Amino acid sequence: MMKQFLFASSLLILGAVTTGCASTAKGVKNSVVNASVPTEKLRSDVPDGGVLAVIRYPAVVEDSAKDAYHKAYAKRAIGGTTGRGVSNTVETVAVADSTIVKSNYFALSLYKELAAKLPEHGVLLSPHVIKLGPGGELTSEPMTAAEDLPSVVSVDFATYSYPDSKKMMGNVPLTFGDLITPLVTVRTDHRASAPTQGVLMASRPLISRAVAESRELALESIDAMQRGNLDPSIPELDFVSYITNDTPKKVSVQKLATRSDTNSTMVLPVEKVRIPTSEMNLLKGASDGTVDPFDDIYTDALSSRIVALINGLDGDKAIMMGKAASVADFDPSLAALTFVGSDDADYTARAAYADRLLDAQRKYLSVQSLRIFDGVHNGELGAQVRDMIAAEYKVLEKRRELAREANMEKLAGIGAAIAGGLIATQGGGSRSSSQVQQCEQIGRSRGRLAYQNCMERLQDRSRRVRQQCRVRARSGSSDAYRRCVQQNDPLASRSSGNVQIGNALLSAGLFSLTDNTKTRLSQQIGTNYLNSIVPALEQQTTVTVDLLDSNETITAIRYEDLQAKLQDLYSSRQRSLDTVATQCAYVDAGEAKRGTWLGVCENGLANGSGAGVLETADDVMEYYGYAKNGLADGPGLMIRHTELGSVSYEGDFVRGVPDGTVRVSQSGREDRTRTYVGGVDTGESLQKAASPFDGRAGDGQTGGATN
Amino acid sequence: MLRASLITIGLLWPASGVAQEAATTQELYAMTQGQVSAAQDQDRCISQMAEFPTDDPTARYQFFKLVSDVAYGADGQTKALLDHYGQPAVEAGTPVLSVIEDIADPVLRQAAPEIAVASMNYLVDFASVCDVYITGQTDSLVAFDPSLGNPEMNTAIAEDALFLRQILSESLSRLGADQDPAWAGAAQNYSGSLVAQRDAVEFAAFETDIAELETLFMDDLDGRLARSNDVINSEMDREVLGDAVKISDDMNEAARARAKQERLYRLIRIFSGG
Repeated sequence: MMKQFLFASSLLILGAVTTGCASTAKGVKNSVVNASVPTEKLRSDVPDGGVLAVIRYPAVVEDSAKDAYHKAYAKRAIGGTTGRGVSNTVETVAVADSTIVKSNYFALSLYKELAAKLPEHGVLLSPHVIKLGPGGELTSEPMTAAEDLPSVVSVDFATYSYPDSKKMMGNVPLTFGDLITPLVTVRTDHRASAPTQGVLMASRPLISRAVAESRELALESIDAMQRGNLDPSIPELDFVSYITNDTPKKVSVQKLATRSDTNSTMVLPVEKVRIPTSEMNLLKGASDGTVDPFDDIYTDALSSRIVALINGLDGDKAIMMGKAASVADFDPSLAALTFVGSDDADYTARAAYADRLLDAQRKYLSVQSLRIFDGVHNGELGAQVRDMIAAEYKVLEKRRELAREANMEKLAGIGAAIAGGLIATQGGGSRSSSQVQQCEQIGRSRGRLAYQNCMERLQDRSRRVRQQCRVRARSGSSDAYRRCVQQNDPLASRSSGNVQIGNALLSAGLFSLTDNTKTRLSQQIGTNYLNSIVPALEQQTTVTVDLLDSNETITAIRYEDLQAKLQDLYSSRQRSLDTVATQCAYVDAGEAKRGTWLGVCENGLANGSGAGVLETADDVMEYYGYAKNGLADGPGLMIRHTELGSVSYEGDFVRGVPDGTVRVSQSGREDRTRTYVGGVDTGESLQKAASPFDGRAGDGQTGGATN
Repeated sequence: MLRASLITIGLLWPASGVAQEAATTQELYAMTQGQVSAAQDQDRCISQMAEFPTDDPTARYQFFKLVSDVAYGADGQTKALLDHYGQPAVEAGTPVLSVIEDIADPVLRQAAPEIAVASMNYLVDFASVCDVYITGQTDSLVAFDPSLGNPEMNTAIAEDALFLRQILSESLSRLGADQDPAWAGAAQNYSGSLVAQRDAVEFAAFETDIAELETLFMDDLDGRLARSNDVINSEMDREVLGDAVKISDDMNEAARARAKQERLYRLIRIFSGG
């Protein structure tokens, strides 16, 4: 009997361990983003001709891309135990669509917080449409002109939920009710942070895709310069790069800090952040948009971190390509001169006009961003999202309650089973019937489930036998019934008294442990909600599309008009430039390879300020600064892109190679100031490296060359 | 000629410019910073300022501002240059208005450029000596009527001052100052400051135009987007979500009842002894 008890107990404990406690979808109360938040205020103003930040987020999925999006979303899951995707079910589609709705809403919380910390018109919103590219691949494009203006940083923001809704209550990422899983990338132009390809901070799963995307854009931009175009490409959303499984690229990473000292990308863990109950209670009936449950727990701190990242960047370097491209739209002869600038009166005067023109465009586009925020966050759209979050919270709480009840029952089940076993053992004198022994043998050889099935069959048989005995004993005494049962019931024939109670408790314990009614009910509640919510999600999506499309149409028509008027105003008031930017040859130190120079030229060769690009057998190189006779000469910034990564050299150059004090930035290492002689590193330097961007432009180096 | 008439009109009639909130450019403000600092002659300043228009604050402001802007960029070297070529000097006590009219008179400045130089010298001298009083007057007038800070009007005044300074530069050139080794440096410096002022004035005009355009477009866009948002948000039927949640709740209730029944059945099976 003791043997049977031990066996049953071990099976129960094994069962309890394997089924485990039902999870209550816990989130973190304190995000890692909130730890040691930088308190520094913005140290620079909005750079001339650009903005400080653009927030990019998935806003809409084009009808033609919906199927591809849903499939990609289901296939490429973030988090979870298996790492595999799930099938494209109605629930998964609802989860994928909900991701877009929530990203639309919570991105605005970041916008609000960032706008409060940056100067007026310093941050723009760039909603993206997910669509099919020319080759049928999934990609994303900005819906507004916000990214046409150069920005010091761009922030990719999305919220995420694991596609398999059945795992919602587990440890997988989730944005539902009071839980939000943000995915974030903060990047700058690669010219301001070459070793990281411009990716300053990113959620772990997105890093390698973001880096690969940035590098690809850097090379595309160089390629465009080779052809004489100043054309900064706009990257697709990193979230889209992830779900489409774009080729990743490795980069040096480090944990979250104020800024990286080692030219590494800072890693944001994927966190399921939980909104406090007090905040969730405020959502009820909050229709005016004054309630933001996300700011205190995440976006306030994240925006402070973004401000600190901006403080650590050279804003002018970060926007120089974007600015040159914008200037090229209305003054091509000035565009390439803006890389380094000049103190010449004619240049200064003209650049001031160009900056003011870009400033007018920035202010105009910021009105659109403010109205997108107002229309979505403060309008009925936002109110419905808040209602939706409140409804989800209710669902989640129900499911948590069920999970807690199931856990309590399991605990009680274990207790009952152990107690039952003990009682039965103490009752003594009884032995298992041969059928029970058979079940035990089956359990030993085939496992717990086989044992349970066998025992259930015996219980069924026992019930039938007792019914038959009851029928037979109707005319006879109760003794006749007892005898009948003892002779025929496979479970009760040899037990009596305590043994019967013990067996009953054991059965009850087994029932509690094996009963998954509440888990199934919990899953059913989740499924019911996701199935029912589809019309509301569709409506939310339709109205969002209408609002963004309408905003963009109205803005674009007037923007074109404004641009034309600004162009007229600009053209009518310009004085001539003594030195203009053109296109000519840029050569490498060995003078074997010829690249393209956009800037001041003389006799068909780079001579003065500008930018040059060149492709050699080993690397792709870009250079911004001064040149003489086609070669880099004077203060400059050179970035070399090899298969291993990108390295930047900023300092003095002579005849195409570093010569003098040069600051070297390399992935995974602190910046080093080195002395170079004829391109050879001769050791550490204690002097400050020169920069083409630090106001040395007025040394007359641009004055000599004219076209 | 047109410029001269503008100056005269500006002096005699109040400007009808509409007040704007936008500040004037730094360049324009900076014009008042580079003035000659000289010993102040209180009696002379008060006496000469008394001749300025008094009937209208706008005309008075324009007058003071013009005189102030005319002296922009004139340093000690410039003063010596004007003393040298502006002979005979304008008689002390000559009304400032008549001095300005002499400068603007095309016949006079063609026939006797030294008179234009002498007249400008007189104005520069007055602006330098009485800078404190002139600045005090313009500041008080702006405080009294903030619309006087209107960048458009200030740009127009700066353009008129620039016109007067260009006359001076031309007159000096006609008198051979830029060929004279002793004075060529000073003449070139003055021409340089003229270019800087012209750039600043032109940029201020551009700034004014662009600010107007910006305000117009931003206000228009803001209004249109607000209206569009309202219309589109009104398409939102929040009952759809309410209905969805209700359906979900009903389905949950049914599922709950089913689960309860199932459980009960199983429990009965176990505890019924069979």
